[in-house]
Amino acid sequence: MSDNPSLPRKAKGERPFFFDDPDVDKLLAMLMGLAGEVSVMRDRMDTIEHIAAERGLFNATDIESFEPNAEVMQQRADRRQEMLGEITRIVYSEIEGLEGRPEDKHESSYAEAMSLVEQDSK
Amino acid sequence: MDMTGLEQGAHGMLPEPTHDELARQQFARSFKEHIVAKIHPGVRVAYDKRVQPEITKTTGKAPVLRTDVEPFMTKDPHYQMWSSLLRTSQEIMWSAAQKPVERDLDGLIECSKKNTSAKGSLTLDPTLDFPRYLTAVDIHCQPGGYHTEVMSDDVAPGAVYDRAVFIYAMGQMGPDNSDIGRSIIEWLEEKRPGFEPAKILDMGCAVGHSTVPYTERWPQAEMQAIDVASPMVRYAHARAESMGKTIHYSQQNAEGTNFEDNSFDLIVSHILLHETSQKAIKNIIAECHRLLKPGGIMVHAETPPYAGMDAFDAFMLDWDTINNNEPFWRRSHELDLKKLATDSGFDPEKEFEEMASSAFQVAKAKRSNKFQGGDFGGGGFWFLYGAEK
Repeated sequence: MSDNPSLPRKAKGERPFFFDDPDVDKLLAMLMGLAGEVSVMRDRMDTIEHIAAERGLFNATDIESFEPNAEVMQQRADRRQEMLGEITRIVYSEIEGLEGRPEDKHESSYAEAMSLVEQDSK
Repeated sequence: MDMTGLEQGAHGMLPEPTHDELARQQFARSFKEHIVAKIHPGVRVAYDKRVQPEITKTTGKAPVLRTDVEPFMTKDPHYQMWSSLLRTSQEIMWSAAQKPVERDLDGLIECSKKNTSAKGSLTLDPTLDFPRYLTAVDIHCQPGGYHTEVMSDDVAPGAVYDRAVFIYAMGQMGPDNSDIGRSIIEWLEEKRPGFEPAKILDMGCAVGHSTVPYTERWPQAEMQAIDVASPMVRYAHARAESMGKTIHYSQQNAEGTNFEDNSFDLIVSHILLHETSQKAIKNIIAECHRLLKPGGIMVHAETPPYAGMDAFDAFMLDWDTINNNEPFWRRSHELDLKKLATDSGFDPEKEFEEMASSAFQVAKAKRSNKFQGGDFGGGGFWFLYGAEK
């Protein structure tokens, strides 16, 4: 990290939002930021492959002809499912909440939970 | 015009990015190219298929002006998506251009001070008032605008701008971002064969990317270039020196300079006028009249006025006004340009408004030939406004 002062991060001026819900614009900006990071990582991987090929370590053909065995395939499939689960957690956690847990005897909203704990008699 | 293979020309002041900084800048460029090629065309389709019929049905008549289009188009989901992506692409672009500059700013400043042979010159004016029309918002979303200095003798705004312009134009202004200057020169060669200006002024030169072509074409001419922002002219001077070009840079406001009356053969500006103000533009044109020798010519390159444009095209060209921190864009595109010139003393017969082909235009068929928000170098031509004295 340099000792130089930082340059300004945000341009002065009210930032326009285009969707009815500005949070959609914000999410889109975050998404494209993430796309940028993926792109940078991919370019770096590409550089690594080129250098490895130049030095006779391995090349793109080696990558193409690599045959993962059944164990590796299963590990990759498991890892993908875990990754997808991390990304989509918000989607099914809402359903988990609706279904409830078998050991729960009482339905309660958050407001009800607060009311419960705030009452002197309980 | 797809210039995917073209990279920016290196010069002594252009910051060298690390591997990942470059990858980030290339992503910014690819993102913009993707928007132009894949997302932007859909906006016209959405207009033709959804919005125009709706306007006609709701108002009882077909849209004629951009103001007829605006209230409906801004609600169209594809327009919203395109706009949001475009604004985000601006923010990503500026951030990517900043990184190498921020990392090595002291090195860059040191570099700007090393002139092994000062062919040109740099004259700063710390007393110059920075105009409010450039500080009300940070123009075209560059964080800090043209003027913000974070260290003494700062050149950061120039270094960031130099790289960002290349990304913004997606290479379509050439490796040195020189297309606008080159296009004016080619137009002058066609309209005034044999023209040999002895003294040339570039108003609002920024980093000198449009200035350099003039000194290349007319090396015997005295080349003067001005800008209000000190970090821009500092960078511009160092950039020109590193390229071996003789240009005299000074920190001045084009509304009122210290040059003599009747002293220039040629005065030019390149996408300057939309970054001024109602009052300033009048002063600038009047100053041009004062500075030009009799028979001299001023040529100001811009994007074309809205008058006569298809309602949708005008609406799209107007995008920058609200969405890209260009507050004077709209008004500048709706000015009575002839009156602006004649009010400053120019003969109405000698005023002109013409379209000049882009010097870097290659495959005409591949270009949209429309100026559109975000495809700045994409029009294939520049609008030239000027007059002879």
